[in-house]
Amino acid sequence: MTLIIRFITLLLLSTSALADSFSVNEIASGVYVHQGVHEDLSEGYHGDISNIGFIVGKKGVAVIDTGGSLQTGKQLRAAIKNITPLPILYVINTHIHPDHILGNEAFVDDHPAFVGHTKLANAMELRKDAYLRLNKEWLGADFAASEQNNQVVKPTQTVEKTLKLDLGGRPLILTAYVTAHTNTDITVLDSKTATLWTGDLLFIERTPSVDGDIKGWLSVIDQLKSVDAKQVVPGHGTPTKDVKAALDKEQQYLNILLNDIRASIKKGEMMEKTMDTAATSEKSKWVLFDIVNRRNVNMLYPALEWE
Amino acid sequence: MQKRSFIYQLLIVSVLLACFSNRAAAEASDKLWPVVKEAFFAKRTIADADFMKITGPRRAESGAQVPVTLTIDKSQTDADAIKNVYVIVDANPIPLAATYHLHEALGKLQLSTRIRLETDSFIHVVGETADGKLYVASTTIRASGGCGGAVDGDDTAIRAAAGKIKLQVESPVKFGDITPATFIIKHPMFTGLQRDLVSQGFKPAFYINKVNFTYNQQPLMDVDFGVGTSEDPYLRFDFIPAKPGLLEAKAEDNEGGKFSHELNIKN
Repeated sequence: MTLIIRFITLLLLSTSALADSFSVNEIASGVYVHQGVHEDLSEGYHGDISNIGFIVGKKGVAVIDTGGSLQTGKQLRAAIKNITPLPILYVINTHIHPDHILGNEAFVDDHPAFVGHTKLANAMELRKDAYLRLNKEWLGADFAASEQNNQVVKPTQTVEKTLKLDLGGRPLILTAYVTAHTNTDITVLDSKTATLWTGDLLFIERTPSVDGDIKGWLSVIDQLKSVDAKQVVPGHGTPTKDVKAALDKEQQYLNILLNDIRASIKKGEMMEKTMDTAATSEKSKWVLFDIVNRRNVNMLYPALEWE
Repeated sequence: MQKRSFIYQLLIVSVLLACFSNRAAAEASDKLWPVVKEAFFAKRTIADADFMKITGPRRAESGAQVPVTLTIDKSQTDADAIKNVYVIVDANPIPLAATYHLHEALGKLQLSTRIRLETDSFIHVVGETADGKLYVASTTIRASGGCGGAVDGDDTAIRAAAGKIKLQVESPVKFGDITPATFIIKHPMFTGLQRDLVSQGFKPAFYINKVNFTYNQQPLMDVDFGVGTSEDPYLRFDFIPAKPGLLEAKAEDNEGGKFSHELNIKN
């Protein structure tokens, strides 16, 4: 019997160790990032794959993205409460995707302004059924609490072009973009440290996934290159000071992907074959390439047939 | 000692099982087919056919645009040719994705299309001969979200663009021989299961329901589409043009919209 007890104890210990493993790094003064792991949005997904975090000013805190589940959102909130007693004034969502917004609910009782692209509320309304159903399927019990409410927390303040938020001696500049990674992309620039949070307009390590307009995205990358940023927090992957190299690498993948698909269509090659061939020269440079790249072709090919 | 280790093993197994059953997603279910079969072909016998095949990805990258290919290794000129082909996605809210009525100049059916899958499902292809014999072939595909997915963009613009057709054949054409043709028609193919922000309900179904293909006025193939066929319906199919002539496609949607396109195939 002692063995069984020992076994159960071990099991409990490992579970609590897992919960405590949520870490945030201060990458610049008052700028904290929790880096998600590179898992696919599928079975085996744990709701914690994107970069989420917060910026602390004199008056209060701005949260930037909340993770893919209520649980991840709660872990982020607990991390904030460990670092500062200041109130949470803003919860910013960089775009519509579930791995960035489904932790919003953890902050509702703080009564912050929820901030996002002008198109974000509609996008949430259109996609919430699918997102909540899939998250339940992928996350199981971890998602149960959120399922009760069956709601996605929508923005109360929107960014049409640019918006300035003040955290107390710490202005944040929010910028909205044309349809690129999605139709709801915004970036957050912390002027004090020149840190640019790009959301999924920039992927580092993880293969960029297209759910908007690849041509729009390529032009937005040019726009981001002109931002005077000392460092960048991507939507996925390790934050870096080498902003230009990261943007160049992403732009190269998207350019090759676009050109390869166009060439296939021109040659009359079917989508199925193109999924095996397009952009494969980029394969060694990215994580989750086979899954994400094929999905990109599946999404882009039928649209590019009409060019 | 023996007993204790047994309990210990049992505990591990049950803990593992609990973990997995929690995480495991639903696989394509074979429980639906008997019900679906009865709904479409009540009390009729359907034989398994090795001369018919449907292929697709094991796991679809996007539930909205799942590429599948149908082949029938039997010519349209054969006495026991398959004349009607039903493509049925068992687990879709509306299972019948399309029905194809085939004519002689198609030769052996080789047809690729793109369909919607709401969830993991069996895809059954049922072939029917002129005298009503039924044959079936199937495959399973894992997928999600193809029928109730978001529609972005402005309805007026979507409707204005609907009906544009692209029709091509692979060149050079060898008359009397197999020639692949590609047809695409711009159309949103609203399923009736997609959210509508204006009404706060669902967008009504709006879809291409018929396309007829002819070559030199002779029928090639008549297609009845359902909303299980993807946005901008796509078909690539083989046919045998005996001599130069006119390939025509005439399409209709469920609101009475009529669209057509023709392609002159020369030497």
